[in-house]
Amino acid sequence: MKKNLFLIVLIVLIILTAISALVSVNVIDATYAAVFIIVFSILKFIGVSFYFMELKNAHIFWKTSVLVFVSLFAIITIALL
Amino acid sequence: MGTATVNGKNIFYPPGGILMWIIIFLELFTFGMALVAMAYYSKEEPAIFHNSRMLLNTAYGTINTILLITSGFFMAQSVKSLKEGAIKKSSWYLKLTMLGGLLFLILKSIEYYDKIEAGLTIGYNTFFTFYWMLTLFHVIHVIVGLVILGSVYLGLKNEKSTTTIEDVEASATFWHMCDLIWLMLFPIIYLIF
Repeated sequence: MKKNLFLIVLIVLIILTAISALVSVNVIDATYAAVFIIVFSILKFIGVSFYFMELKNAHIFWKTSVLVFVSLFAIITIALL
Repeated sequence: MGTATVNGKNIFYPPGGILMWIIIFLELFTFGMALVAMAYYSKEEPAIFHNSRMLLNTAYGTINTILLITSGFFMAQSVKSLKEGAIKKSSWYLKLTMLGGLLFLILKSIEYYDKIEAGLTIGYNTFFTFYWMLTLFHVIHVIVGLVILGSVYLGLKNEKSTTTIEDVEASATFWHMCDLIWLMLFPIIYLIF
């Protein structure tokens, strides 16, 4: 499991990307689709930063900073849409 | 080359180094504020933003996202191999990382060519002003990242090189930053309007 962790993260990220693209094309309610797509992009952001960048092994200050930034970005963007 | 690792749990030593993380946050805030501004302007011109977004090719954006994510995966594998002392394997993964970046740039160039041919240049409307400025700024980061990775690759190949694991980790962190920026740009520019 641990040996293939990066590969599992990669597959999850690709699936999330594909679902986001499909949602933008097929979901009629634009607001729901936008919220869904932003939430998925946050998950991808966390996947890359915590696993590929190994932030999960860093001090809690850096983990919190990234989570606060990405949460603020998502909240402000969704509020403006 | 040195393969000693530092304690990542120390607040002053995040993976890639504290200076790189300061740069990352500055970059993320810069792109983040521009994207928030784009979302704000979309409220004033919703029809223009929607019609302009429909002129973009979602498939190009999606494939480019997958290319960058896969490239980031190979970069993470390269750093992991290096920490295990497998320098040849690390170099191989680094080549795959750079290939992903190059393919991203090729596809982006094709997309830019299509847009210019269609007359959708930077002054076409507000949406395309944001599109060109943000994506071009990101492309510059990818080019800089490829130059950095190229120099790290040469360092790994040269037995007399002074390249350390910290240098490789810092380069990897810069490369992943390009992924993070794209993960913010892709949904807002290509999907939500």
